[in-house]
Amino acid sequence: MLNKPRPVSVKVGDRRHGEEGVPVEVGGERIEAVRETWLVEDRWWTESPVRRRYWEVVSAGGRNLVVFHDLLSGRWFSQAA
Amino acid sequence: MRCPPRYAELHSHSAYSFLDGASRPEELVEKALELGYEALALTDHDSLSGAMELAIAAKGTPLKPIFGAEMTVQIERREGEGSHRRFRRREGEGLDCRCERREGALEEPFGDRGAFRHITLLVGDRRGWASLCRLITLAHSHTRSGPGRRAGQPSVTLEQVVDHADGLVCLSGCAGRGIEDEASLRRLLEAFGPRSLYIELQRTYARHDRARAMMRERLARRIGLKTVASGDVHAHSRERALLQDAFVAMRHRLTLDGCEAHLRPNHTHVLARPEALASRFAGHEDAVAESAALAETLNFDLCADLGYSYPGAEREDAARRLREVCEAAFDVRYAPGSKRRGEAALRLEEELAVIEKLRLSGFFLLHHEIFELAGEAAAAVRRGGSASTLLTPGRGRGSSVSSIVCYLTGLSHIDPVENGIAIGRFLHEEIESVPDIDLDFPRDVRERLIPMIHERYGRDCSALVAAFPTFRARGAIREIGRALGLPPGEIERVARTADGWGGEGAVAEAAKSVLGRERSNTGRWRWLVFLAEQAQRLPRHLSQHSGGMIVATRPLVDCCPIVPAAIEGRQIAQWDKDSCADAGFLKIDLLGLGMLSAVERCVETIASRTGEQVDLSRIPFDDEATFKCIEEAQTTGVFQIESRAQMSSLRRTRPRTLADLTIQVAIVRPGPIVGGAINPYIERRQRLLAEPSLRSEIPYPHPSLREPLSETLGTIVFQDQVIEVAVAFAGFTQGRAEGLRRAMSRRRSAEAIERHHREFVEGAMSTHDDVDEALAERVWQMVAGFAGFGFPKAHGAAFGLLAYQSAWLRVHHPAEFLCALLNEQPMGFYAPDSLIHEAQRRGVRVLPPEVCESDIDCTLRHDGAISMGLRYVKGLARRDAEALVAARRCAPFRSLSDLASRSGMSRAALELLASAGACDMLASGGDVARRRALWQLGMAAAAHRLKDGRMEQGGASVPRQGGGRSVPRQGGASVPRRGGGAVGRAVEGERQVAIQLALELDLPDAPALPPVGEWEAMLADYATTGVSIERHPLGLMRRSLRGEGVLCSAELEGVMHGEAVRVAGLVIARQRPSTAKGITFMLLEDEAGTINVIVSARLYERRRTVVRTEPLLLVGGRLERHESGGGTVNVVASDLEALDRSFAAGALRRSAPRPRGPLS
Repeated sequence: MLNKPRPVSVKVGDRRHGEEGVPVEVGGERIEAVRETWLVEDRWWTESPVRRRYWEVVSAGGRNLVVFHDLLSGRWFSQAA
Repeated sequence: MRCPPRYAELHSHSAYSFLDGASRPEELVEKALELGYEALALTDHDSLSGAMELAIAAKGTPLKPIFGAEMTVQIERREGEGSHRRFRRREGEGLDCRCERREGALEEPFGDRGAFRHITLLVGDRRGWASLCRLITLAHSHTRSGPGRRAGQPSVTLEQVVDHADGLVCLSGCAGRGIEDEASLRRLLEAFGPRSLYIELQRTYARHDRARAMMRERLARRIGLKTVASGDVHAHSRERALLQDAFVAMRHRLTLDGCEAHLRPNHTHVLARPEALASRFAGHEDAVAESAALAETLNFDLCADLGYSYPGAEREDAARRLREVCEAAFDVRYAPGSKRRGEAALRLEEELAVIEKLRLSGFFLLHHEIFELAGEAAAAVRRGGSASTLLTPGRGRGSSVSSIVCYLTGLSHIDPVENGIAIGRFLHEEIESVPDIDLDFPRDVRERLIPMIHERYGRDCSALVAAFPTFRARGAIREIGRALGLPPGEIERVARTADGWGGEGAVAEAAKSVLGRERSNTGRWRWLVFLAEQAQRLPRHLSQHSGGMIVATRPLVDCCPIVPAAIEGRQIAQWDKDSCADAGFLKIDLLGLGMLSAVERCVETIASRTGEQVDLSRIPFDDEATFKCIEEAQTTGVFQIESRAQMSSLRRTRPRTLADLTIQVAIVRPGPIVGGAINPYIERRQRLLAEPSLRSEIPYPHPSLREPLSETLGTIVFQDQVIEVAVAFAGFTQGRAEGLRRAMSRRRSAEAIERHHREFVEGAMSTHDDVDEALAERVWQMVAGFAGFGFPKAHGAAFGLLAYQSAWLRVHHPAEFLCALLNEQPMGFYAPDSLIHEAQRRGVRVLPPEVCESDIDCTLRHDGAISMGLRYVKGLARRDAEALVAARRCAPFRSLSDLASRSGMSRAALELLASAGACDMLASGGDVARRRALWQLGMAAAAHRLKDGRMEQGGASVPRQGGGRSVPRQGGASVPRRGGGAVGRAVEGERQVAIQLALELDLPDAPALPPVGEWEAMLADYATTGVSIERHPLGLMRRSLRGEGVLCSAELEGVMHGEAVRVAGLVIARQRPSTAKGITFMLLEDEAGTINVIVSARLYERRRTVVRTEPLLLVGGRLERHESGGGTVNVVASDLEALDRSFAAGALRRSAPRPRGPLS
């Protein structure tokens, strides 16, 4: 339950390092670095399919954050790293 | 503007990776071309099965095909093994970190035998191809279990890879299971060298794959290797990526919900645009560039560089030797002074000249040799050398039968000169590849011949051709349904309702009819329909072609990987017939033909019973009685012309000569039917039969078609006619026309045929002034519609001859013929039950299995009745049957007790026999015999146990004589062989002991038992033997049926066309041909004959389950008897239902009138 995704506001920057839609600000906090990004496409055969683009980033305050872009709803969520 | 980075795909899987790839090679090629790839490598798991398809699909396109395989390599455990442990799975994490879990799942911990890793091997040149073929052959050598064989997944050791590095380039393997330990990589480096070993980088958007790529980059630098990027493609489209997920679940026998750990986290394994792929590798630009650079160095052309040749190809004296063989036979076949001799001599010279020019003399000699080998095989199988020695061990089918050289070398039984068969299609100067020669053999001869060929030409140099069964509707529904976690009961119902692949929508239709439109269109059922349709045409596994064999002079393992077959002693090439043909392999078709075995058996039985030696090649071929039966469609059991469709056609076409039969066997085929030949042919044939002078009025679309089509009355019936039409009408060369004909017999025929369309139409218009585009199109439609599902004429002649021979035997030796058919089952169109009933109606006597008389096979008694064999008792082990027959040979059984003690059978086996009524003779007592036998045999077995003072063990022991020795008997092991020597006598001595024993046992009489009713006995017969010989279910119900106004088949004679009738019967055939627009044809049988029932598409929809599953039907409808039908009577159903049980009750109780059903 602790790991339940929470909605978060994310500002997206320009194309960088061949990646698009890179988060530059999460929850009002500036992002310093992107550690990694990955893609989850799953449960398409069920009533609740999953398509998410995950980002693991480092904030200006030095925190490790994991956020994902829900590609079906267009909304952003944060998750414990 | 920067140029987009160049990228070549060096790692992709097709469906030939079996459940780990969801596209056909040509689909990948097509997509790669569309996306602008310059090169694509196909790297299926431990297989090159898709290689030739890749080569052919890419031929003539800008896409460069690269051949390779992803090999499974077994790595021994090593000290200091480290780097891939970094990504071990973390337990207990939730859904949101599943990608990691999945990645972890790909890690396989080291077991006792080390770990299985993957490497990607790519073929650099011709030597590399041979290395890879040999390596894959090694990988499969241990994949079958059996004596001396251990089943396992295909894999090779690192040392085996090292030994086969010549000409290959090695990539370190996929992200999940590639090789990352330095020791193994250094070992590979020694073998491949730094220019042919690469560290493979993949960017699959799984969590941590960037870190893994960076780790691999460092590893490469440390060892001094380059990195190369690859995409690990498993599908050519997003739709197929979903199917690939389902495949993963199927492979692990899990549901999709239950196999998160095995699924890929996303669908990045779909072939993407090269630029998109390249952009994933930010920071690894060198690896991307390297893919294109490496692809440029890999130059192996599978279509040109194989270096195959067949044995005999290089024999210098081949031409002379072939001439000798032919000339030796010539005087026998065409005696001096015979009328065809001159013509035949010319034909022979002509053929020998073409053969020599094409350098095919060795090819024909090879076939001749194989035929002689078959003679040895037949001699070995037949031992006794009885009547069948008069028959040669096999015969040719297919177009080879048109050749006089084949006739003289014994490959064909048809005299092409006598039968007016032109050589054109089989052999002409423009021929592009070796011709096909198909040989039919009796099944047992074929079984013996295959290993003999392996021995003769060397195990390295001969192999069977593979076949790749594709997903069928039912299998796909079951497997995918299970993966989706749908309820098993419903899956089964949908699966059973689906027919084959009745074209597009078969699964949707089945789902809709079982579940209703609404449900079949929602949720997981919708996915089932979608995925099952996607799976259509994808290969499911490797299996053995029905008879194709390839032989070569150099080891085949240098040309194509060879894998062991399920039957020990046989081996299969990894290519199917199309790939073998494209490779130019010489394929010899050794086909097992049940009817050949059956006519042999029949001739043997005739000889042993009457002493008459029948030589089927010398029977009269114009026998009136035989043709009368054929004309009247009395052909049940006859080769090729026994089906319902053939019968209804026979009554209309009325074949009267072998030439007519040649057309007849060829016309009821999808080709002539779809091509629109069958109806015009039959109609013209009927008019000609009535008025022969009308021949001049047969319409031909164009005068140039008169010559090629006159024999078949203006229609295309034979494959050869496609060629003749293309030449005469469209001005094709022989070679080009042959190309069109070949295109028709291939898997993806539609596209291949279409390529000839334009040329055909334009050719026709430029060849003839009076042909306009519309006419040319019309003729093209005739040709294209035919599409290859037809016979070459020579094949028709060979099959027509066998049809005649079997019809002749059926007419003149009906009991022997039925007996042979029953022993050769399964074969043909009808079940044994129907064959028996039909023969009984012609006066053949058949007796049910009986322990006092029956042999293992069905036999003919001296009085001409057939005694059913014990093999028809379901569940009875062969060794039990053998023991019984051997015991009876010593002395007849005197009682049930005697049987129980001497047959050495278990109680269960005895009960099987008793239930089948096979002990009735010993039990006596009329209608209680069966029950009495069961009761007393139970007692007897129990009594023996008691007397013996020990438990019966596996039913294989015999009671101990007081103070005497025990007589162990283990099934058939101690049964003497026929004519056995000393061993046989010794066993006989033991049996005498057993007989005396039996006399000591007195069984109490059975108590009063209720009689076995007729209906009950009939059910028991079907349950225990699959045949009901003494009573027909409809006969038992007739009284009740008559009360309901249901007619018997014999009474339909007196019914007028159009009258309403009700009929009932046992369903013996159901057919829903795809060519019949949804109409279902059923054949019902009652005690007096058969009834044709026609079910419309609408009625089928309404009564689908009844039509498809009920064994006994009551049908209401209208009787049809058309003049043009030649006397065929059909009942066009207006409704049908399962024959109510109450009729059966009536059969037992002769009960009161039953309530009326919907058909009343």
